[in-house]
Amino acid sequence: MDRLDQHTLKNGMVILGEPMEAVQSVAFDFLLPAGASRWPEGFCGGANVVSDWVFRGAGARDSRQLSDCLDGLGLQRFSSTSSSHLTLGATLEAGNLGEALDLFGDIVLRPRLEPEQFDLARQLAIDEVRSLDDEPHQKVMLKLKEQFYPSPLGRSTVGEIADLETMTAEAVADRVRRYFAASNAVFSVAGRYDFDQVCQQLERLFGTAGGPGPEPVKAGPQGRHYTHIPNDGAQVHIGLMTATARLTDEDYYDARVAISVLSGGMSARLFTEVREKRGLCYAVGARYHALKEAASIMGYAGTTPDKAQETLDVIMEQFRHLQEGITPEELARAKVGLKSSLILQSESSGSRAGSIGTDYSMLDRVRSLDEIKQRVEATTVESVTGFLRRNPFTEFTVATIGQKAIEC
Amino acid sequence: MQFCQKILQNGLQLIGEVNPSAKSAAVGFFVRTGSRDETPEVSGVSHFLEHMLFKGTERLSALEVNAAFDNTGAQFNAFTSEENTVYYAAVLPEYLAEVTRLWIELMRPALRDEDFDLEKNVIKEEIAMYKDQPSFDVMERCRGLHFAGHPCGNSVLGTEAGIDALSSGQMRDYFGRRYAPNNMVVAWAGHFDWDQVCSQVLEGCAGWSSQLTSRTLGHFAGSHRQQRLDRPTLTCEHICLMHEGLPAQDPRRFAAMLLATIVGDDVGSRYYWELVDRAVAETASMQFGAMDGTGVFYSYFQCSPASAAQVRRTVGAVFDGLARSGVTNEELTKAKNKTLSALVIKNELPMGRLVDLGFNWIYLRQYHSVADDVTAIKAVTVEDVNDLIRQLSPGVFTEFAMGPGLTA
Repeated sequence: MDRLDQHTLKNGMVILGEPMEAVQSVAFDFLLPAGASRWPEGFCGGANVVSDWVFRGAGARDSRQLSDCLDGLGLQRFSSTSSSHLTLGATLEAGNLGEALDLFGDIVLRPRLEPEQFDLARQLAIDEVRSLDDEPHQKVMLKLKEQFYPSPLGRSTVGEIADLETMTAEAVADRVRRYFAASNAVFSVAGRYDFDQVCQQLERLFGTAGGPGPEPVKAGPQGRHYTHIPNDGAQVHIGLMTATARLTDEDYYDARVAISVLSGGMSARLFTEVREKRGLCYAVGARYHALKEAASIMGYAGTTPDKAQETLDVIMEQFRHLQEGITPEELARAKVGLKSSLILQSESSGSRAGSIGTDYSMLDRVRSLDEIKQRVEATTVESVTGFLRRNPFTEFTVATIGQKAIEC
Repeated sequence: MQFCQKILQNGLQLIGEVNPSAKSAAVGFFVRTGSRDETPEVSGVSHFLEHMLFKGTERLSALEVNAAFDNTGAQFNAFTSEENTVYYAAVLPEYLAEVTRLWIELMRPALRDEDFDLEKNVIKEEIAMYKDQPSFDVMERCRGLHFAGHPCGNSVLGTEAGIDALSSGQMRDYFGRRYAPNNMVVAWAGHFDWDQVCSQVLEGCAGWSSQLTSRTLGHFAGSHRQQRLDRPTLTCEHICLMHEGLPAQDPRRFAAMLLATIVGDDVGSRYYWELVDRAVAETASMQFGAMDGTGVFYSYFQCSPASAAQVRRTVGAVFDGLARSGVTNEELTKAKNKTLSALVIKNELPMGRLVDLGFNWIYLRQYHSVADDVTAIKAVTVEDVNDLIRQLSPGVFTEFAMGPGLTA
């Protein structure tokens, strides 16, 4: 149990695997260094366009043939864009893994990137940006990340219309060739698979592909402290962010426990104070959000306009109040909650493939579940309280969308 | 995998599927009640009652309930639909007894006035939250229009005014009639000891008295009316179509599910190729919703207002094509592969398994293993699907559309 497979191809591409005996499925991810922050100025939304464009034909297959082949294997494909990476992956029945990897070899290394298909992929990305107006919750969180992280680290993963409209197929295709160079990619697999066979196949498909990869990201200044976007919706959508420990920091696990105390379950402080005692919101919560370069706690609440000010005040008060320490009961609940979610998550091949890939991209190594459990277990009331006193949550970046702005 | 079942003398039904290789276990209380079982005076009471179950018992306060759940590290929640209210938790096996005991206790809630009054605020915030999600709002309105005059058109959330007018006495009365043991199923999946959970339920629930419960059944083909709402604050056009489907009890439901996949899956479907691939609509999907004694297919489209007419024409052509020539063997094979792998992957998690297990019992009083469902899906033929198209005429539908209006 809890074995990690690891291998590096001749070109430097890293292969990670976590075998799971109880499942019939397998999931894999290609983490490509093509996330939103890697693109130069003027390309906001480039990664979003590419995540669609690469599926519109690859190798010997046109868009329809490729899609038919993927569907024929019954695989559930997905693509997601973060600040650092564009991830392409799939979950499927284990028996079809070999054929699926052959198809993804084409998608990553030989996407057709036809100009007429670019226009369609770009139009969908533009429509997605517009549709954010009708999804204020999602929009406020995108805006918040943009303001909080030093530019371009928090750049919108969906895109900006002005940039999308001026991007050319040729310029974006150049970027794809550079960013998708397999030597810079990480491949992760979890579930039922034969690691030797996977490595041999990937060596054959990717072993000779190499390239420069993306330029290093130069982080600029942080954005504004508060932004309000007016709209006539039913609720005011409030997002707030504050800095906390990164995955590589010594007190990372203390920070995770503190966030659990704040918003880990229904007995956590935010839910108790904002919803249970005051009835201010239906949705309220905060979670950990990490980039390699910086990490934060990201909070959200949606409430009707008359309650918006009080909601934000109560939430901020709860963040500030943490420096006064946590109780042994809160620590115990945070520990059991963190450990349970880790084990529950470990039953899903899709979420394990994602976790080991993300770990590697953040830490250059993969933490075992046992290591995480032990580190969570080792936290104490003193260690968490000490962390909170040294790093009180007093500085916030806030964004709101709704009928009225609030004071912060 | 071992299936177990038992019925108590008061009619409470217990079912379980034991999987000793799972790392977690899931428990669910499936109550056969929802908005379709409400009269207009108590619209929204099923969903409000679901919230109130978390508010505690004669012995436990709301805050103590939350702490009790979090002490087990459970991932737990509840949801209310038109016809079911489901309470569930996924936990590590060593906490299953504790979380089962807690749910048993909560099924006999105190329903205190002060909790009722405070929670009204939260319910009204939830109503406001969904108003800011037009994709949800348009479906809800379309369902009301489609099922005009049939109880399946009743809103789950109710309206703000209706919730204001609701009394705790009305809720207690509804609770007494609907939360009878003979109107409930308790289910477990994953790693657990059947004898142990059975004796817990016997001890906790044998004293509950059964009631005469009923539900107005009856198939409903739909009103086939068309309505639109201009809302200048919207950016996109949101269109929902509903047409006649099959009841959850109908053995042809697998053919209906495959038909929805062929027409409206996220990728590779007819909607996808005609609308999304060509960037005419950003979203186009069809799903099959089987219900108690009736059923619907619902389609949802999101596009720019300028494309709305083209979307309607294209969807008309898709339906004409289905009526004229049916589906092809290749389409059916792809849909089966996708459906089968999604089924297997979902059921690898005890929590995913619990949902299928519970609903099969609620609707059919039958146990179907995952292998049984796989066999049933594989057995569907092109003729089965085409017979359904002839019978259900997808081209005859109810439509609700929302958008910024012509002046935008």
